[in-house]
Amino acid sequence: MTAFALIPICGTADEQLFGFVRGAETLPKGRNDLYEFITLRTGKAEGSYYGLDFETEVEHGFTEKFQASLSLEQHYFNNQGVDGDRDALDDQSAYRFGGVAASAKYGLLSPFKDWAGLAVRLETGYLWNDEVDGLEQHEVFIAPEIDLQKNFLDDTIIWDLDLGVEFAWGKQPAEQYPREMALQAATGVSWRFAPNWFVGVEANVRAEYPMFDFNNFEHVVIYGGPSLHYSAKRWWATFTWAPQIWGSGVDEPHDGKTYAEETSQKFRLKFGFNF
Amino acid sequence: MSDWIHRIVAPPALVIAVGAVPCYAATYLTAEQAQKICFPEATEFIVADVKLTSTQMKAIEKDSGVRVRLHTQKVWRAKAGDRFLGWIIQDEVLGKHEFINWTLALNADGSVKQIEILDYRETYGYEIRNDKWRAQFCGKQHGARLKLDDDIRNISGATLSCRHITDGVKRLLSFHELMLKH
Repeated sequence: MTAFALIPICGTADEQLFGFVRGAETLPKGRNDLYEFITLRTGKAEGSYYGLDFETEVEHGFTEKFQASLSLEQHYFNNQGVDGDRDALDDQSAYRFGGVAASAKYGLLSPFKDWAGLAVRLETGYLWNDEVDGLEQHEVFIAPEIDLQKNFLDDTIIWDLDLGVEFAWGKQPAEQYPREMALQAATGVSWRFAPNWFVGVEANVRAEYPMFDFNNFEHVVIYGGPSLHYSAKRWWATFTWAPQIWGSGVDEPHDGKTYAEETSQKFRLKFGFNF
Repeated sequence: MSDWIHRIVAPPALVIAVGAVPCYAATYLTAEQAQKICFPEATEFIVADVKLTSTQMKAIEKDSGVRVRLHTQKVWRAKAGDRFLGWIIQDEVLGKHEFINWTLALNADGSVKQIEILDYRETYGYEIRNDKWRAQFCGKQHGARLKLDDDIRNISGATLSCRHITDGVKRLLSFHELMLKH
């Protein structure tokens, strides 16, 4: 405990400029990060819906290019009158333990030395309750991803692009199908407009296919919006507002939105600490 | 407070409580101290600041391949009596979040004599103050390759700072070549 207490917690390393997009940088060897992500999802086709997600993650740099993390996911739901053609959720005000996850990331190219930064990332986890309304499930997922990062103008403008896929098993009874595949991508551009400050725009898309079958489409959704990032000596914070830009879901009206598993708005606040 | 709030707050609070010891940014040297370290035999440092036109900035950028941000470059001529010893150029480069202030000392022939880091406000990368790392630049002249992992060794975990200082040296050697040499 004494040794731990002497480790300085300060500044930033694998800091995240965006709410929903990851860069290609990795933690220096021997360094640790603690993240807290707080996400508010709100807005359904009817009623009032508030889904709060709390993700606590600890990350360690094992080598200069390899880092790994463990995380806890927790939820709080407050929904009233969300019961229509698109969704039928029980009224509730309840805490639910989401699950646990682990990730590993390996940097292949450095955004500071090479033409661009490139990293491969793998995440896996076990989720006891789903994130729509906390229904019980026993989901195991695995999500490989490629992270690309290109820096411009002395690293004051940063563009990130993530491409990935997620395979999940055990989503019943929260969902209709026992397994599901999701294609996901995210991109964002951020500009350092003053020392310590970045402002950017970002977007992410996710398309879900039950039974790992591309002919079995469930829904696709695009969120996008602005991000503001601040880095202090000992911590950093990122705030992102991401309204649903477009969506389409099977068995939902074709009005350019999907609400069965999604919301009209997402807000995410991230904190990071290095130690 | 509701029980669920305790459950949510507890994990991050525990980690922060265990690891939280503050660290501070450091100012290592003033400009005057750096001048005397670089040229201990100097008897005077004569201000010779250079205000750059946009044409001159572009010329330096073209020559060095590095963006020029400062319109005015702070420069001193180091002299020991009537003898010209060399130049001191004060500069700043971008750190990941804030500026890194540093000075470049050039010999009378324009080769690098010494680098001094005045202050460093970043969390990672302070290793650029390492004597051996800075010594790599000694003797470098205009036209040197000055590239990380080539003629300049990188420091893992301090890559951004290493690259920006390396680019800074390249830019100031071009600045000397075009603005001070003649």
